[in-house]
Amino acid sequence: MGKDAARAEWDNPMQFVLACVSYAVGLGNVWRFPYLCQMHGGGGFLIPYLLMLVLLGVPLFYMELAIGQKMRLGSIGAWRAISPYLGGVGLASVVTSMYLCLYYNVINAWSFWYLFHSFQSVLPWAECPVNSNLTGHVEECERATPTQYFFYRETLDISGSIEENGGIHMGQALCLLLAWMIVYLFIVKGVKSTGKVVYFTATFPYLVLIIYLIRGVTLHGAINGVKYMFTPKMEQLANPTTWINAATQIFFSLGLGFGSLIAFASYNQYNNNFEKQAIVVSMVNSSTSIFASIVTFSIYGFKATFNYESCLERVRLLLLNTFDLAEDTISLENVNHWIAELNRTHPEQFASLGGRLETCDLEAELDTAVEGTGLAFIVYSEAIKNMPVSQLWSVLYFIMLLLLGMGSMLGNVIAVITPLSDLKFISRYMSTKTLNGLVCLFCLLLGLGFTTRSGNYWFTMFNDYGATFSLLFIVLIEVITVCYIYGIKRFEKDVEDMLGHRLNWYWKIMLAGVSPILLITLFIFYIVNYIQGGTPTYQAWNKELGKSVVTEYPPYAQAFIGLLLASSVCCIPLTALYTYCKKRNLASGKRERTVSTVSA
Amino acid sequence: MEEGCMINSNFLGISLFMRCLRMLVRILVLLYLAGAPALAQTLCQPNASNGCRVRISIKTALGNQAYEWNENEMFLFRATMAFAMRRYYKTETYNVDNIIMCNQTLRVSFWFVVTSPENSTMLIPKADVEKAVRMSRHRINNAFLLTDRTLEFLGIHPTLAAPVNPDTPPWLIVFGVVIGAVFAGIIALLVSSLLQKRRKEKGMMEDGQDEEDRQMKGVENDNVLDGIYNRGFTDDDRFTKL
Repeated sequence: MGKDAARAEWDNPMQFVLACVSYAVGLGNVWRFPYLCQMHGGGGFLIPYLLMLVLLGVPLFYMELAIGQKMRLGSIGAWRAISPYLGGVGLASVVTSMYLCLYYNVINAWSFWYLFHSFQSVLPWAECPVNSNLTGHVEECERATPTQYFFYRETLDISGSIEENGGIHMGQALCLLLAWMIVYLFIVKGVKSTGKVVYFTATFPYLVLIIYLIRGVTLHGAINGVKYMFTPKMEQLANPTTWINAATQIFFSLGLGFGSLIAFASYNQYNNNFEKQAIVVSMVNSSTSIFASIVTFSIYGFKATFNYESCLERVRLLLLNTFDLAEDTISLENVNHWIAELNRTHPEQFASLGGRLETCDLEAELDTAVEGTGLAFIVYSEAIKNMPVSQLWSVLYFIMLLLLGMGSMLGNVIAVITPLSDLKFISRYMSTKTLNGLVCLFCLLLGLGFTTRSGNYWFTMFNDYGATFSLLFIVLIEVITVCYIYGIKRFEKDVEDMLGHRLNWYWKIMLAGVSPILLITLFIFYIVNYIQGGTPTYQAWNKELGKSVVTEYPPYAQAFIGLLLASSVCCIPLTALYTYCKKRNLASGKRERTVSTVSA
Repeated sequence: MEEGCMINSNFLGISLFMRCLRMLVRILVLLYLAGAPALAQTLCQPNASNGCRVRISIKTALGNQAYEWNENEMFLFRATMAFAMRRYYKTETYNVDNIIMCNQTLRVSFWFVVTSPENSTMLIPKADVEKAVRMSRHRINNAFLLTDRTLEFLGIHPTLAAPVNPDTPPWLIVFGVVIGAVFAGIIALLVSSLLQKRRKEKGMMEDGQDEEDRQMKGVENDNVLDGIYNRGFTDDDRFTKL
């Protein structure tokens, strides 16, 4: 049947490449990679990172693009075509993508919230708000910092633990509605609209990153951060966690296993040269990570230097006030000299200072490594508020976060919609627009749960458990299926059919040998880590103390974590069982009727 | 003769008495004059219950344009404080002499007390001084080109500015604009594709852009892409043997 001819396509291969770049280059490049770089020895981390890119990232990326382009179907149809028993792999991908869709757009909602709040003369996270009787600042804000207060109290209105639910935060709900409306706007006409949008979402973040790079390295003290990042600490390479984290970062950063790449590639022309494109996109993704971490570290350096100098200023004032010295006797440079001097000359008075005298350490400030939403919304906004013309930098920064997040959301949503629209019984009754609208509405309604007062804790749970373990399993099954069940020979033939030349020995060795071994190692490591970790915990915000405390998940939350993990992983064996039973029914003499929901 | 002597001795006694009295008055006056500053000094003590400590950071506030703190500035301070007291009590009795300062340090910090204009030994209680300072804080700061942070009255916290609460929070305005634009975009796209479909149904023009029609109805018009991929060639490989 000529259904293939009716399938939508990208206008040109450039749109496909930009879509992949827009999807792969996401928030993880900005907030996870710099953290890993800092934790695992600065410049030295690039070695395991680039090695894993070559061994694991590029071959798997290549494989997913090949499958999508060959089968010209979304993940469910494609995997069912490869092996009917393992059609569950596609279903598991869709389930995982659905989880990701639910919680990922909440980050975009936060970015919108911060973006809209940047249009004020004084950024709201720059100062603590005044309390009701105008005598001082709000207590919670005094104990924490203004940026933390703005994030936890005004943005999230977070409760004390995951058990304490609350109402929906209306501002968050509105921003989430806006985020989903924009996603719908981008995908409403399928790849025709997505193809035009990715020109913008893939390129504009680079423009902002360049502007930020120039601003970042010219900030006072930025060089401290960049130097700190690039001094390699080679002894970290001996730590196996470094290699595990490098592999995991490559794996998740490229977005393997979600079905998005298969979906994107399914809209390609049959003879598209995806080999070159796979290499290009992977390289672009990794270089963006490194580029973004230079920007992040220059901003870290600025923030650390600013805090260090503020600390010195506070100590200087304390000394001046306690010993009643004239103002210009102590300057920022000779504070430490004066501390020693005053300790020697006035020991009793010095002792009376007691705990009020802080030690100011630049290294300690630089050592505070943060990742994830904490980095993006707390640390960065703290650095931005101290820049001159902070409103402009704030707006630029959050627009960049939005574009990165939206680009990744496009991939996530398309990964869910493409397999659904391939199913005959859906495509018969609904147009793509209606299907897209229903999926967006469904995700919006469920996503409102993340805008409640305890929503951030559920968000963290989804973030940590929703997609990590299941993805490893899915991709492991994918590689084993393609190489051993479908057969590497048949795969080679398919690729030759599409590209015109045979598979290189590099691809064959990596796909059949190295990648599965690495994936199995990662998988085992995850299981061991999970078991050894004991009861899963999370960071709960304590408003009395003004900081996060480690709290254990209650039993029902732990059960939910198990459900999250099981629901996507179980699709694979359950579908295999279902197919087996169906085949047995057919073989037991029933009228042969190919019930196929695969558009062939 | 006896009467004359008695009158003479009486006269002598009275003049002696007068002389003693005059000397006493002189001594008292001298004592008073000498003792007054000492009395004032005892009035102004560091950590006195009615005293207020002031700390000034001129160089922090003004940098290169900092002026030097000298007797003239002290005089200005006393005058400003007298002004504040006058403004608070709404009387014109306070004067520079009513403000007594002591214990000045290099930091530029000192203590001061305010005496009552009627009775120079009586101090105005600290609470009233605080209220007076609060009322005229802005004027006092401006007299010295300083701010609340650089001219500190220890113990008197500056009243923080009341938060400005606009009727619509500014973020809602920006949000409204953006969501309006997005909504308009969605409606425009939906309406345009609806119009296209209607135009195609009328058969007026061959539209090569409407992809989802093809997806729904299959191959429905003569607009053919370059070749239909025939799966028949690889059909034997299509399903993995079970």
